Amino acid sequence: MTTLARFRNFSYWYPETDAAALLGLDLDIGDGFTLLTGSSGSGKTTLLRALNGLVPHFHGGKARGEAELLGQDLRRMTPRQMATNVSLVFQEPEHQLVLPVVEQEVGFGPANLGCSAKEVRRRVEDALATMEIGHLAGRRVSAISGGERQRVAIAGALAMEPSVLVLDEPTSQLDEQGARALRQQLERLLGLGISVVAADHRPHRLPGAVDQLIPLSSGRLVAAQDPPEWPARVSGDRPYGEVAWATDGLAVGHRLPILEEIRLQCRRGEVLAITGANGVGKTTLLRTLAGLLPPLAGSIERLPGRMAYLPQDPGALLHQPTVLAEVAQTTKWLGLDCTPMPLLQEFGIEQLLRRDPRDLSTGQRQRVALAAILVGNPPVVFLDEPTRAADQSAREMLVRALDHLAERGAAVTVTTSDHEFADQVGDTVLVAEERNVRPRRRAAG
Amino acid sequence: MNPRALLLWVGAVLLLSLGSEDPVYRLLTLVAALLLLVRWRRPGVRLTPIVWWIGAACTLGILFNFVLSHTGQDVIATLPDWLPAIGGQLTVEGAAYGVDVALGLGACLLAAAALAAVIDSQELVDALPRQLQRTGAALGASLTLIPRLRQSFMAVREAQSMRGWRPRGPRSWRAVAVPSVLSAIEGSVLLAEAMEARGFGSGRRTPAWNWGWRKRDVLVAATSGMSLGLFSLALILGRVGGWQPYPQLQLPGIDWVPAAACLLLLVPGLIA
Repeated sequence: MTTLARFRNFSYWYPETDAAALLGLDLDIGDGFTLLTGSSGSGKTTLLRALNGLVPHFHGGKARGEAELLGQDLRRMTPRQMATNVSLVFQEPEHQLVLPVVEQEVGFGPANLGCSAKEVRRRVEDALATMEIGHLAGRRVSAISGGERQRVAIAGALAMEPSVLVLDEPTSQLDEQGARALRQQLERLLGLGISVVAADHRPHRLPGAVDQLIPLSSGRLVAAQDPPEWPARVSGDRPYGEVAWATDGLAVGHRLPILEEIRLQCRRGEVLAITGANGVGKTTLLRTLAGLLPPLAGSIERLPGRMAYLPQDPGALLHQPTVLAEVAQTTKWLGLDCTPMPLLQEFGIEQLLRRDPRDLSTGQRQRVALAAILVGNPPVVFLDEPTRAADQSAREMLVRALDHLAERGAAVTVTTSDHEFADQVGDTVLVAEERNVRPRRRAAG
Repeated sequence: MNPRALLLWVGAVLLLSLGSEDPVYRLLTLVAALLLLVRWRRPGVRLTPIVWWIGAACTLGILFNFVLSHTGQDVIATLPDWLPAIGGQLTVEGAAYGVDVALGLGACLLAAAALAAVIDSQELVDALPRQLQRTGAALGASLTLIPRLRQSFMAVREAQSMRGWRPRGPRSWRAVAVPSVLSAIEGSVLLAEAMEARGFGSGRRTPAWNWGWRKRDVLVAATSGMSLGLFSLALILGRVGGWQPYPQLQLPGIDWVPAAACLLLLVPGLIA
């Protein structure tokens, strides 16, 4: 195995923080497929950023020790210089797309590298075909779904034809088809001698043959642990209560229907999970059910009273200076008389009470946002992609929390491209496809 | 449309609108700009909000001049002197000059809007000279901040209202404004990081999209160039007369050379 990257006693601190994001790393990363594991906030993203020099060159802060990639000193080489060799796909695709149209966006990197217009076009076409999104070529980035944006971001990285591909949570928003396409492409790239370094909370969606496993915890290398078993469905049979919401002949969409003739209902005490491919209209359906979008046709009957809603981007909720203040804000607005501590403990964020929510990792933010909307036991809950960037323990906490919510009589509706999660949490699992929503056959086990 | 042809046309509209105070020339350039937007805007670009915002800006321009100028012989009404700034005579000449200013402002704003409505920011960046491309790409990316901010505002307002937030006075909007702005800034930093990681600014960037010069692009460029040339010539020869409605309103004078320059700007809208 050839050494790709070499870290010696490497430590890094983000600006204005005392805690090291990476501490005393002694590590050789070889070629082939390297998988970084660890819980949210363990330092995976920082290490990935260090691989192309974004840490420390872009972020500032303090770096100590040695860091090399392909024999080049990462503390001297800038990300721009590294871009010819290393291509990085970030965790949040919506924030990394530069240009307004998909094909332009995918061609942005090769154009920056000075490829000819003909070469840029070839690479764009290849990358779009690889990610099976050729049909999106002329679409505007703002008009495609979160999962489709993730595929566009990966296509943009592939179009740079790097010798090292670095992926941060590349499957977090991908549907089965997208994840399969990515896995096949990564296997092909590995076969061509291109190295891949990735962090993902669902590593089974990435190539199975891992050449090197790097487990991280609090910025340090730790001993590898066996991945926890993914438990079968945990919820028991709960008695359902009254109908919390029901639709009749519902059509949803923006001007034109993307899903129609929907007849659904969710009862109190029930967890309804809706899966489906990227861009099929899950978010539009959820927003319509929650009353945030008007139906194009048909009707929705809802129980009067509070509804809780988690948007795909948790940043939309977070504005208070501390985690505790963020959760307390909901109780203040709604005039609730309850203490948020049990919920914070349930989500494993009681240690973060005094932290600014925006300084947390994506997975931790997601948990804070969940706690902020679920405080006070809302009777009707809508969650859009709640497992986004969630590590295994966070997913298990979420499953337990939703089970408890349902036990207490809440009607919970979840849209997710995470089929395992849907199977585990849903009393009823539906799939949105072919302009309708229908029951999904539950996976075995 | 070829972005370089469009840039030339926009340059001509700006010169003709700002190079003369004659309302006839300004009206012609405004019509040309509006016609181009109507005929050449990209699919999906809505004209109504553009016209509404520019119309509002022009109306404000007319109103300001009307109530603040107090000059001219034809008095329509008189506001009490004790009213600060607006107290005094309201005249036909003040209103007429306001209309003239609004025509120039409207033409310039419509021409600027054409840059966003007819072509993509990426096409614009690629049309710039190589030395300006880095600045242009940064500008193009920063322009995406505006729709991002709007999307962010909508998403935050939606999410917070589901969490119990209700608008109760200006301070209550903090719960929406702060996360909207923070998300937009955070998004911009992440975007800058992504651009850096993708080699932006390494100095070797080549235009990704080569647009051919079709006949109508050549015609747009040629007529815009001729318009620029004719108007510049008219300026040098002193044939672009200034127009002043004060002290008494009079009809604007028209010279065939600058008028022809204005008419040439109509060509792109007519050949779409």
